[in-house]
Amino acid sequence: MTGRATPLADVLVGLVPIALIVGLWQLLASTGVAPPSLLPAPGAVFARLVEQLGSPTYLQHTATTLFRLFAGFGIAMVIGVTLGVAAMGLRAVEAGLMPLVRVLAPVPKIALYPAFILTLGFENASKIALVVADAAFPILLATYQGASAVEPKLAWAAQAVGVSRLRCLFTVVLPAALPSVLTGCRIALVISCIVVFLAEMITSTDGLGHLLVRAARSFQTVDMFVPLITISLLGLGLNAGFNALRRRLLIGFPEEK
Amino acid sequence: MTRLASLPGIAPLMACAALLAVWELAARAIGIDGLPPASQALAQVPVILGDPEALLNIADSLRRMATGFALALCVAIPIGLTMGRSRQVAAFFNPLLMVIYPVPKAALMPIIMLWLGIGDASKTLVIFLGVSLPIVYHSYQGSRAVEEKILWSAAAMGMGPSARLARIVLPAALPEILVGCRTGLVLALITMVTSEMIARQTGIGNILFNSLDMAQYDTVYAMIVIIGVLGYTLDVAFEGLRSRLVGWAAPAHDIVAGTT
Repeated sequence: MTGRATPLADVLVGLVPIALIVGLWQLLASTGVAPPSLLPAPGAVFARLVEQLGSPTYLQHTATTLFRLFAGFGIAMVIGVTLGVAAMGLRAVEAGLMPLVRVLAPVPKIALYPAFILTLGFENASKIALVVADAAFPILLATYQGASAVEPKLAWAAQAVGVSRLRCLFTVVLPAALPSVLTGCRIALVISCIVVFLAEMITSTDGLGHLLVRAARSFQTVDMFVPLITISLLGLGLNAGFNALRRRLLIGFPEEK
Repeated sequence: MTRLASLPGIAPLMACAALLAVWELAARAIGIDGLPPASQALAQVPVILGDPEALLNIADSLRRMATGFALALCVAIPIGLTMGRSRQVAAFFNPLLMVIYPVPKAALMPIIMLWLGIGDASKTLVIFLGVSLPIVYHSYQGSRAVEEKILWSAAAMGMGPSARLARIVLPAALPEILVGCRTGLVLALITMVTSEMIARQTGIGNILFNSLDMAQYDTVYAMIVIIGVLGYTLDVAFEGLRSRLVGWAAPAHDIVAGTT
């Protein structure tokens, strides 16, 4: 959040609630208050996680999930950034697009999933479409808001030396709005992670979400925790990775508040 | 421009009309069973809303959503406000929130169902979990930005710490808290629908997927329209409430994007 390094004491204080939760979990499991069929011990879950991460079948499912995630996120990024910049630069696009976004943004996109299944089938396409529907809006809005905040003098200067309006949008306004665009993308990346998992839980024959549902049907409690932890770790990792990328890309940009 | 679009005025209506027209034309052009024309699906909306059983299901869903949302308000706002005023409390909760952030909350449904059963308790808990995070985050941001001097004056006049939190920090942070609540409200609806899709028993998500299984495609699309209208109406209503409560503060953003 802030650029300065957090003192060691703060880090240690922050570890306390996480340690407490794992401790309580261990306590409940080892005293037998919660039978292993309802709440397996944390050790058992992590051992299974490590075991699964070495298994080719499990990695195959993870790869399927990741493919859907990145396909959806990539498409959403292209759509979101293009429309966001276009809405900023062209009055006609703004007038047509923004009311539409206003109506569609608060609609729960997951409700569209049955429609995607019916029109695009049970395979990858419907899940990717759902990820696009959910991830495009934060990117679009962040791009639009970021582009609106760009100093207009920059664009005027470019146009004064003969750059066309459209080129100016993509070579001047978009780079200047980059911090906001990347923040939108980071939020959308975590959303994509969550959505792809939920879609796989609702209907799928492969992927991490399917593994959770399959384990739930056969009451394999340990195997229910493992995909959930995997997708959460993926989300954390992607978030951290994207933050690092963002910092690299934004070298030279003024520090954000 | 954007002010016009933020009011329940003419622009959103035209956007809806355009959407319906595109849908109608696309359905007629493609001509598959899986995509009935808009007119056909919309004809099902009054049928669903006239069916007492469906209404009962929708009322069930809304009740769970309201309970989860209210619980989240009671827990998340105090946590967020204290985090903003005390660095130790912030350091205590921040890493935990960061770890919880990427967990798909609705995906906890099958696990929570093992403990609390398939009924209201587990769904309400999932909604509560989903809604809490943005409210904590925005309350934290709002409370962090409160002017120190006001708090010092209050302390000098003999106001205790908890009174300061309730009577100064809370009102000062209210605009930001309400931004969090608005995101939370959209999230509550999403989590509600998702949890009902995963654990089908009653509710809106249940009707949606049952009609999908029974190939009643008109009903599927009618339900999607109902859920969409519900999401939009809740958002507009909340925005109205927000501008009445904190009309003195500049609106942060016109549009909120629903996240999971």
